[in-house]
Amino acid sequence: MRVAKAVPQVKRRKQAGNWLKELRGRAGMSQIELAQALGLKYYTFISQVENGFGRVPTESMEAWARALGVDPSSFARELLSHYDPELHRLLFEVNR
Amino acid sequence: MTVVMFPGAAQHGSWQRIELQQFVSMSSDAIAMGEASTWYVGVTERNDPQFFLIGPPPEHDCILTVSRLGRLYVIEDGAGHVLFESNNLTLLGEQAVAALRRRKTAIVARVAVAWGALREFCEEKTEALGEHIELVGHFAPQLAPLV
Repeated sequence: MRVAKAVPQVKRRKQAGNWLKELRGRAGMSQIELAQALGLKYYTFISQVENGFGRVPTESMEAWARALGVDPSSFARELLSHYDPELHRLLFEVNR
Repeated sequence: MTVVMFPGAAQHGSWQRIELQQFVSMSSDAIAMGEASTWYVGVTERNDPQFFLIGPPPEHDCILTVSRLGRLYVIEDGAGHVLFESNNLTLLGEQAVAALRRRKTAIVARVAVAWGALREFCEEKTEALGEHIELVGHFAPQLAPLV
């Protein structure tokens, strides 16, 4: 894979993508099977997300979590820590 | 829904030179206009080639993905919406450019709406301030002897 510039955002999405790939592996699903479970016409978006270029849209996080057999809240929280670490810090790490 | 797959694809795994030239040419224009910052190529789990066009900083979000499944090209946006499907490379290039233009128009429209809302908010505040100043101007002479 060609990587022109390593930027923090891309690195964080890549980490999220690796985590999603791992979850999918644990669920014993292929990218095509996950796309099927999500009602997608093509499986290419799964690859886009797992390669760290796309994000799981907020509106479909619950569907992804359920398809992968994990708790939707924990799933969304983990993704937020990669996609928007500052918001994750403010919501879950700052002492009240 | 059935996910479309193409077993036994003709040119599996990598882009051909002519395809890449088309995508790079399309990307160069977008990069020159500041709509994109760079591009990457990759493959899916089934070794179908993908081309990712990345948006400007600071987010560097994927704004367009072109995938080839067998002889079919699929263009998706960064949220996984299918924008175009075709087996014609020339048509694909045109549609990719059109998708980028639509995206730019949508961004301009969002900025315009936000600007309008901000201006309206400022005008309301200014009007309210004007009313207060008028009120002070009206009562100040009467209140002055009491101070």
